[in-house]
Amino acid sequence: MRGKRWWALLAALTLLLAACGGGSSEETSAPETTAAPSGTEEDTSTETTAAPAEGEDEGAEAEGGEGPHFIYITPNPIGENEFLQMGETGTQAAAERLGGTAETFESTDPSSSRANIEAAVEAAPDIIVLTTFQLTDMAVEFASANPDQKFILIDDCPPEGQPENLYCVGFREHEGAYLLGIMAGNLTETNKIGSVVALDIPFFHRWSDSFYLGAQSVNPDLEPDTQVFIGGDNPFADPARAKEQALSLAAQGLDQIFSVGAASDMGVFEAAQEQGFMTYGTDVNNCPVAPEYIVDNNLKLVDNAVQTAIDLVMSGEATPFTSVGLAEGGVGVMALDDERLADSQCLVAQHPDIVEQVREAAEGIISGEIEVPDPLAAAG
Amino acid sequence: MLAQLVDMSLWESVVRALIPVLLAAIGGLICERAGVFQISLEGMMLAGAFAAVAAAHVTGSALAAAAAAAVAGVLLSLVLAFGAVSRGGNAIVLGVAINILAVGLTSFLLPQLFGVRGSFQPEGGVRILRIAIPGLSDLPFIGPVLFNLSILGYAALLLVPATWLFLFRTQLGLRLRGVGERPLAAETLGVSSTVYRYAAVVASGVLAGLAGAQLALGNVGVFTEGISSGRGWIAVVAVMLGRAHPFGVLAACLLFGFTEAFGFRLQGQGYPVQITDALPFVVTLVALVIARKRFRRLLDLTASTV
Repeated sequence: MRGKRWWALLAALTLLLAACGGGSSEETSAPETTAAPSGTEEDTSTETTAAPAEGEDEGAEAEGGEGPHFIYITPNPIGENEFLQMGETGTQAAAERLGGTAETFESTDPSSSRANIEAAVEAAPDIIVLTTFQLTDMAVEFASANPDQKFILIDDCPPEGQPENLYCVGFREHEGAYLLGIMAGNLTETNKIGSVVALDIPFFHRWSDSFYLGAQSVNPDLEPDTQVFIGGDNPFADPARAKEQALSLAAQGLDQIFSVGAASDMGVFEAAQEQGFMTYGTDVNNCPVAPEYIVDNNLKLVDNAVQTAIDLVMSGEATPFTSVGLAEGGVGVMALDDERLADSQCLVAQHPDIVEQVREAAEGIISGEIEVPDPLAAAG
Repeated sequence: MLAQLVDMSLWESVVRALIPVLLAAIGGLICERAGVFQISLEGMMLAGAFAAVAAAHVTGSALAAAAAAAVAGVLLSLVLAFGAVSRGGNAIVLGVAINILAVGLTSFLLPQLFGVRGSFQPEGGVRILRIAIPGLSDLPFIGPVLFNLSILGYAALLLVPATWLFLFRTQLGLRLRGVGERPLAAETLGVSSTVYRYAAVVASGVLAGLAGAQLALGNVGVFTEGISSGRGWIAVVAVMLGRAHPFGVLAACLLFGFTEAFGFRLQGQGYPVQITDALPFVVTLVALVIARKRFRRLLDLTASTV
C-alpha cells in the first residue's frame, strides 16, 4: 500500500514536470516567438510572456506602461499556424502604431486558455484579443464578470447574451470560398467536387457550401456536392484520418477537393499528390506544400481584421459585431492580388482566364451584384 | 450504390488504418498475457511518432527514425515496467501518467527542438520505405491491399501469426502465459515473473513506438500534436475485444479499421458524420454484448492479475 502511494506521488510529480515545462523555456534559445503561460502552474505568466517585437526581454509590465496595452490570447499553440501568427502580427502592429505594448498568451487546451484569460484580466490591459470559436464561451463568461474590461473576439460571436464589452469580429469566409468554387467549377473534368471538413457545424459550411455554390455558378453540369467530416478525437490535427477521407473521395471520382481542416489539411494535400486531384486550402497560402496540386486558398487576413477591430474599439466606434469580407480586405484568395499570386506557387496562376473570371466575381460580390448567402446566418 | 461503398480503395484504406493500431495492440496483448494491464499504448505511440519525425529530420534516415521511435517507446515503457512490476504499483495509474507525460513532453519538445508548435514536417520528406512485392502486388484485389505496404505494415501483419506461434507453441510463450495466469505457480517452477513481465512491457514499448513511426512517417509525413488521436486507446480496446489472442486482436483491429474506412464512404454518400463517427463505438458495444461471457472471464482474469 505504501509503495503504491509513493508511485502515485511520483506519477503526479511527472505530470507537474510536464506541465511546468513551458515555464523554464526562457533560457534556451527561443527566437523572437513569444512563449506563454502554460496555464497549469502559478509562476509562469510573468516569466514567459515576451515583449512585442522591439521591446526589451523582460515581460512588459501591465500597469504603469505608456500607451495602450493589448493582450492576445490563442486557444492553441501558435506554431506554424499562420492564422494565429497573423493575429499576433495584427495585435503587435496596432500596438506599435498606437505607441503601446502587446503581449501574447498561447494556450494548449481549454484549461490553459482559462488560466491565460484569468491572467490577462488580472493584468487589466486596454483590450484583450481572443481568437476563434474555441474561446467564445469563455469570452462571454469573462466579459460578463469583468464589465470594465474590453474584449475582442476574432472569428466567432456568441449566438445570444453578448455582453456590451465584448466586440466580435467575423470574416465573411463564404465570399472567398465562393471564389475558390469558381476555380473548381472551371477546372473539374469529372464534374464531381467536394470538401473534407473538420466538423459538421454551420460555421464550417461557410466554406464547403459556398465552395459548391461558386462552382455551380460557372458549371451547370456539376454532380451533387459531397462533403465528409473528419470528426473523431482530434478533428483539427489528425492528418492520417483526413488523408483517408480525401482518398475515399478521390476513389469516387472527385477531382476538386476543398480541405477545411487546419493541421489535418496536410493529409489531404498528401492524398492529392498521390492521387493527382486538385485541392484548395484555407486561411493562409498553403500552395508551397504541394505546388502542382493546390489551386488556391481561402485567405483570412487576420492581421487586417485585428487592426481594424482594435482601431474601432479604441476610438469608441465599435459595434457589437464587425464583419470583414472582400470589401474590407479581411478575406481574399491569392488570385486577387498580382503580387501575392506571382510567387504563391498556386496552380491558379497557370490559368489567367480563370484568374480574370475570379476577379470579376470578386468585384461583383463587393458591389453587391453577386450575393453569397451565409450558411451560418441560415442556421441561426 | 454498394459498389460505390465497397470499392478497392476501401480495403487499402482499411489496411492503412489497421496497421498502427495493430502494432500497438500486439504489444498490448503480450503485456496482457504476461499479466500487466497496458493502457499506455496511446502515450508510447505519440512519443514514437515524435521521435521518428525528430530523428528523420536530423538524420534523414527512415531506419534511424524507426529506431528512435522504438527507443522512445521503450523509455516510456520502462516507467511502467519499473513501477508496476518492480514496485507493484497500479498499472492503470502509471499508464494514465505515461499518456499525459507523452502529450506534455512532445508538445514541450516540439518548440524547444524545432521552434514550431502545432505541427512539424521533417526536412527531406523521409518516409518509412514502402515496398511493392514484385509479382504479388500485381495480383487482383489482394495485390494492392496486402502487398504494397510499408516495411512496418508487413511486420505488423507477420507479427500476428508470429505472436501466436510464440505464445502457444514455444516454451518461452508458455512461461509468459504462466506468469500472467498463475504468477506464483510460475515462480515455484523457477520462472521469474519479473523478467518476463519486463520483457513484455519493453516489447510493447518497441511496438507502440513503431506504431507511432508508421502513423507519422508511413500513413502521412508529418507530426501534429496529439497525432495518435486515440488510436492507442482503440488498441487497448482491441486487446480486450480480441481476448488477448493474436487472431482475435487482428479481427478486432480489422473491425475498427473497417468501420472507420466504411464510415468515411457512408459520409461520402451523404450519411451524417454523427452516425459514422459513432459507428466504431456502436460496433464495439454490439461485439461486447455478443462476446459477453468470454469478456467477463477476461475481466476476472485482468482484475486478479493487475
